[in-house]
Amino acid sequence: MSATWRGVARKDVEDAIRSRMVWGLTGIFVVFLTLLLLAFQAQAPAGVDVGTVEALGFVATLAQLFVPLVALVAGYMAIVGERRSGSLRVLLSYPFTRRDVVLGKVVGRSVVIGTALLVAFLVGAAVATLVYGPPAAGSFAGFVAVALLFGLAFSGLAVGVSAATTTRGRAMALSIGTYVGLLFFWRPLVAGLYWAVNGSLPGLRADAWYFLLKRLSPLEAFRVLQSRVLGTEVAEAVGIPVEDVPADATAEQLEIANRVAGEVPFYLQDWFAVVVLVAWGVVPVALGYLRFRDEDI
Amino acid sequence: MSVIETNGVTKRYGSGEGAVLAVNDLDLTVEEGEVFGFLGPNGAGKSTTIDVLLGFATPTDGSAEVLGHDAVTESEAVRERVGVLPEGYGLYDRLTGRRHLELAAEWTDAAADPVAMLDRVGLDADDADRVVGDYSKGMTQRLALAMALVGDPDLLILDEPSSGLDPNGIRLMREIVREEAEDGTAVFFSSHVLGQVEAVCDRVGILHDGRLVAVDTVDGLREAVGAGSTLKLRLADDPGAAEDGPGEAPGIDAVGDLEGVEGIDAVGREDGLLTVSCSDPRAKARAVSMLADAGIEILDVTSEEASLESVFAAYTTGGEGSILSDRDGDPEGDGRDGSDDGADTGREVVA
Repeated sequence: MSATWRGVARKDVEDAIRSRMVWGLTGIFVVFLTLLLLAFQAQAPAGVDVGTVEALGFVATLAQLFVPLVALVAGYMAIVGERRSGSLRVLLSYPFTRRDVVLGKVVGRSVVIGTALLVAFLVGAAVATLVYGPPAAGSFAGFVAVALLFGLAFSGLAVGVSAATTTRGRAMALSIGTYVGLLFFWRPLVAGLYWAVNGSLPGLRADAWYFLLKRLSPLEAFRVLQSRVLGTEVAEAVGIPVEDVPADATAEQLEIANRVAGEVPFYLQDWFAVVVLVAWGVVPVALGYLRFRDEDI
Repeated sequence: MSVIETNGVTKRYGSGEGAVLAVNDLDLTVEEGEVFGFLGPNGAGKSTTIDVLLGFATPTDGSAEVLGHDAVTESEAVRERVGVLPEGYGLYDRLTGRRHLELAAEWTDAAADPVAMLDRVGLDADDADRVVGDYSKGMTQRLALAMALVGDPDLLILDEPSSGLDPNGIRLMREIVREEAEDGTAVFFSSHVLGQVEAVCDRVGILHDGRLVAVDTVDGLREAVGAGSTLKLRLADDPGAAEDGPGEAPGIDAVGDLEGVEGIDAVGREDGLLTVSCSDPRAKARAVSMLADAGIEILDVTSEEASLESVFAAYTTGGEGSILSDRDGDPEGDGRDGSDDGADTGREVVA
């Protein structure tokens, strides 16, 4: 294996194994998943029959907080860390291109985070089976696939940030800023824009562009997809009430088809959320690469 | 073919008033198979120059070719055939020394024997299996040197290779540089220590404030250095220092004869010490052996080397005690005229 992105990826995974990052991440995800599955059972009112799907929906809600955070922490130092330690100068003294470095790091961190998530889901599946009975294979597989995509999107975002920055502090600030921004500010900003344009907050029915902007958030895209594969509405992790929607609105009323006028445009179809998540993984990497390519190290 | 050729390479950091000109209009040529010393104080722009050669930094102006490939657009092709010990590098703390060399071999498509490589730089099999995080600075430097040698490169670029090494390590490093050079590998060796460069290099380029001040053969450099060096000797029964005056004590002739020795400019006395100013560092040993042969007991010897600054001054001003005129055997010559002749003897005054 000569100096290609594979070499970078392999070394990165090897380093992550040695640093016990893989074990740490796997442990965190396993504990997170197990605790949530058990907690959901414990908090269910007596007499109410809760099933696996509801439990997974509950996990999906909190995963919006948890998965991005862990992926960002695991990835934000990927390149800037090597830059600061000087090992990037050694690595690049071999015939790697800057592209090899970025691509290799994206793949390496994705393997690390993906492995941690998969192992955790295996354990989670066992726990869920014990507590709630065996989950439906289809919806569980869908749940895992969407969560994996979600984790990889944030691992791409993290490596992109890491490629674009030259100090640890900046990489950390940009990662945390992105996380907090997505979690707390995205929806209020989009609703605020709607208010600025239309003079009122979005109600049960609103313009299609409002829903598009809302769904361009990876958290919302994840929620939409998980709701779809689980067949039950997954709640937002941070539900800031910015829409003028009655509290007793039914699930049917809240369906996107009933909230926009006419045909549902393609960008509000559920599959489009996959595109959104992929874009969150790829675009920051591309931008980070362009920055890294032309930068002195 | 030249292994390194730069044309007007300029590197400016920042812009406007705060801009720093790290390298200024550098024209440098390093020939195949030679050991080229790149001498200059810290901050002179040596590492920046190397960064440009390796594609770590893009020059603001000018161009550089390494092994016939453009340093900016064909950086991968350059780095395929160059072994590098970079400045300010770090290794992977959690990987073993052996693993580092295995990776280096993979990345250069070379068949490497990690244990043999480690042995070459003076690390043993136990060290091979320790993680680099437990290495001392010197061990790390040895490992990094071994990594640079993997894949038998055509050009070695060593940036301050002796930093962190103990005297044994430095000796070993020099041996390796010589062996590689005998093998036909060109070596580009940067250092802020005069003695390091003098000991291994064929030619020397002197960088000061981002400018290439001079390029000279190492003999020329030796003279420049020698020009400013002084030997100080404390003698038992120093005849000159005795109250009785000269005449009786043994060896007085020997002291007097020193002035006639080639490479010695002046003999004087200072604080009870005999001072011998040399234009050629080799004259120091001659002086010591002459005195010893004459039966004079030498209690102590110290030598003051010319500082880097005075070497720069020797090259740039070409004035006082000009090495240029001395070298060309032109007693009347001033340094400026001598510079033309200097090119014939390998010296080239750039600024």
